[in-house]
Amino acid sequence: MQRRHFFAGAATAVAAASVNRAALAALPEPVSQASADTAAPLAPPNGRPYRPVITLNGWTLPWRMHNGVKEFHLVAEPVVREVAPGFFVNMWGYNGQSPGPTIEVVHGDRVRLFVTNRLPEHTTVHWHGQRLPNGMDGVGGLTQPHIAPGKTFVYEFEARRPGTFMYHPHADEMVQMAMGMMGLWITHPRGAHPLIAEVQRDYALLLAAYDVEPGSKTPRVAEMTDFNIWTFNSRVFPAISPLVARQNDRVRIRVGNLTMTNHPIHLHGHEFEVTGTDGGPTPRAARWPEVTTDVAVGQMRQVEFIADEPGDWAFHCHKSHHTMGAMGHDLPTLIGVDHRGLVEKIQQIVPDYMRMGERGMADMGGMEMPLPDNTFPMMTGAGPFGPLEMGGMFTTLKVRRDLGANDHRDPGWYRHPAGTVAREWTGAPLDAQAPRQTAPGTAPGAAQVHKPGHAGHAAPGAPSPGAHDGH
Amino acid sequence: MTRLPALTGALCTVLILAGCTSVAPDGLRSDVARHTQGRLPAGTELPSPATAAGPQADAPAGTATAALDPASPHPAHHAAQVDAWLAQPVDADTAVRIAVLNNPGLQAQLAQLAAQDAARAQSLTLINPSLTLGRFTNAHERELEREIGLGIVDLITLPWRARWQGWQMERATLETAQAVLRLAADARRAWLNAVAAQQTLQAHARLHDAAVAGGELARRMAAVGNFSQLQQARELRVQQDAAAQLARARLAAALAREDLTRTLGLWGPQAMALRLPAQLPPLPRAEDLRPGDAAEATALRERLDVRALRRDLDTTADRLGVARVGALFGDMGLSHSRNTSTERDSGHREQTRGWELTLPLPLFDWGGSASAAARAELDRSAARLRDTALRARSEARSHWLRYRTAWDLAHQQHAEVLPTAQFMQDEAVLRYNGMFISTWDLLAQARSTTLAVAQATDAVRDFWLAEVDLQLALTGTSPDGAASAPRDVALTTSTPTREGH
Repeated sequence: MQRRHFFAGAATAVAAASVNRAALAALPEPVSQASADTAAPLAPPNGRPYRPVITLNGWTLPWRMHNGVKEFHLVAEPVVREVAPGFFVNMWGYNGQSPGPTIEVVHGDRVRLFVTNRLPEHTTVHWHGQRLPNGMDGVGGLTQPHIAPGKTFVYEFEARRPGTFMYHPHADEMVQMAMGMMGLWITHPRGAHPLIAEVQRDYALLLAAYDVEPGSKTPRVAEMTDFNIWTFNSRVFPAISPLVARQNDRVRIRVGNLTMTNHPIHLHGHEFEVTGTDGGPTPRAARWPEVTTDVAVGQMRQVEFIADEPGDWAFHCHKSHHTMGAMGHDLPTLIGVDHRGLVEKIQQIVPDYMRMGERGMADMGGMEMPLPDNTFPMMTGAGPFGPLEMGGMFTTLKVRRDLGANDHRDPGWYRHPAGTVAREWTGAPLDAQAPRQTAPGTAPGAAQVHKPGHAGHAAPGAPSPGAHDGH
Repeated sequence: MTRLPALTGALCTVLILAGCTSVAPDGLRSDVARHTQGRLPAGTELPSPATAAGPQADAPAGTATAALDPASPHPAHHAAQVDAWLAQPVDADTAVRIAVLNNPGLQAQLAQLAAQDAARAQSLTLINPSLTLGRFTNAHERELEREIGLGIVDLITLPWRARWQGWQMERATLETAQAVLRLAADARRAWLNAVAAQQTLQAHARLHDAAVAGGELARRMAAVGNFSQLQQARELRVQQDAAAQLARARLAAALAREDLTRTLGLWGPQAMALRLPAQLPPLPRAEDLRPGDAAEATALRERLDVRALRRDLDTTADRLGVARVGALFGDMGLSHSRNTSTERDSGHREQTRGWELTLPLPLFDWGGSASAAARAELDRSAARLRDTALRARSEARSHWLRYRTAWDLAHQQHAEVLPTAQFMQDEAVLRYNGMFISTWDLLAQARSTTLAVAQATDAVRDFWLAEVDLQLALTGTSPDGAASAPRDVALTTSTPTREGH
């Protein structure tokens, strides 16, 4: 697995912006990002100070100050996103990546956003969750004309409340969001806020799902339910950066959902509280501890906790298929099916045929089988103890005692103190006489049930219904 | 007896002509062989006449089987030759050799040709002169009549008749040669069909094995509760279809082989001994294909049926010239008589010698109808030649087109369709590896790949069949329309049936 490399500082990614030589009256030169690695947080070079967020496998869009107005330039364009090493997907995004760059502003900032459309069709940008003039809301046809291909529009408003927001198209949005057009918007509080805690680590991510036919490169935009690529910021495990925290850091994770289903986001080893939504900070009386929070479609949740337990803790969507890579969803279950004598026969007509699934699908995690081109395996990822058998909305929270305050690099696998890892029982063995189910599909001692009128009408070659002899 | 020299001269001519009328000892087989030369694979030999077989001592005497044994009336070396050919897998050329040597139908035709030749020889033999003797008495005298008579029209027309009969025999020989070529083409077609059907059968056997494996896996799935009986039944249907297709393919292969052994004149142990190569010959390369531009000229120059009709036309044209003469002098006769009358009382004997020529009077029939018939015959002959030439040209063009298209189709199957099918199968395996599709989906893809292989086999077979027809159309005769149509027995059994999924 290719390791993510953090940039030493913001300079690499924002170089083009910081040396912007264009006349101030002209459009801000757009900045583009070529890498899907997690960029280092962008410390604000001007304007009001704030503690920047870390966008997992993403970056923050640099700005310029123009007469006291923060000017950003978003370019909507086709991009190729490296969803996992070697797995590239044709998407539509902003400024070289999908999701687009995170826009970070401070409560009260006046913001001017130039949006250039380099897509083949018109678009708009909707600033999800913002208080703004109706004409800046970005719903094509309703509040504004669409941005035709090649045109640049300007949105300008004040960031009137702090919180976690997103931006996405509101023109042909079914297609444009299925193609990956989305981005995070973070409005930081101006100074201390009674409901917003100071945190040492502030992570942000968007949930997105794609349907990429194995062997192809472009998502099927017409799909509504049968997605096979489940992503944090359009990346899949093990290509998603870990969330890294120094022990006892206060950690905030901001999650927005732009898929077509809800995602119960689950953190191991800690309890967290939902401290905010896209509606704003949660009143303290409304917070309760949880280990899983459901992020419904079109919602954002920001959770906070003290990372006081060292280790590599799983952080994932709890819908188990959402932690799987691409797979067929129309497969019969092969568990417990005796393949003896058949594999050789099938190999006569399909020489490369291998038996799979007889014992479950865990074999897949350890197998390196050739797959169609540009296809992400169903189960992948290896940990220090073996295959992780994951490949989607899954990553880790890595809590370490000795870590620099601004160190976001992957510290590697956790070194467990002696005696703290589950181990094989080496005492007395299991009593061999213990009852256990021997015949799959037939509980021992279960009453034999016959459907009325069905006696002797079994399909040819099929076992008679209710047969409970062990096959 | 001073007139004798003239008579002797005439008789000599007759005898010389009669010399031409001798029966060909090999029943004209060498003439047939001369016509088929270069049109048959090297080493093809016509069977020797059955009469040359000698005593049939080697056949088990007194058994009905011996009488029915098609090989028994032939020289032992024929059977030995066929056995030697059968020791190896029989290729198309060898199939032709066996058929030409061994096919009883052809032997019948050759025997008929020999019989025709004998009849020709017989018809050219002059009618024997007639000797009329009479003895008449009355009260005064006793009369003895001796007359030797000869129908001389036979004699006069003998040169023409000899020539016509010669032409007719040449025509019959050409027709027999065409029959040989047709049999060779039949043998090639039967061989191609048999090999292709056998190859298709193997594909279907593989399909069936895979379907059985899929059906069995489905049964085990249902047994442990992972499949409903409906799901299992769907896979069972696939298996049943495969079994039915296998049965049809087996029948088609057996029938095609039966057709081949029949054409080759094999039966019993020889039919059992017949082995075929596992595969059809590969397609020739594009640059090795016959060019189409010379097809018509080749057909007009080479085709035996065109030659036979041209010979017909010559005969009828020649015949037109003498038709009137023949009609006028049909009953012309020449006789010499020597009558002796003896006076009974005096014993005085008087002899009368003389020639008598009988000439029909063309009072009613001036030969007009005969010459009209001959002229009509000439017209008919010319029209038939034109018709056949027209057909030959058209067949040369159309069979070349069929040949070329068959090659294109077969080449497409091999160069494009099969690689695509193989690619699809490889991709299906990759999808199976990634658990995108199930074993049964994979098997369904494998079945369609195998069917593509079977269809490619059919396409190669169709090319070679078209090649046989073209060969016949260019150098032999008109390919039998019905036999040259592609046989679709195997193809209809290989209709893809993908069930479920």
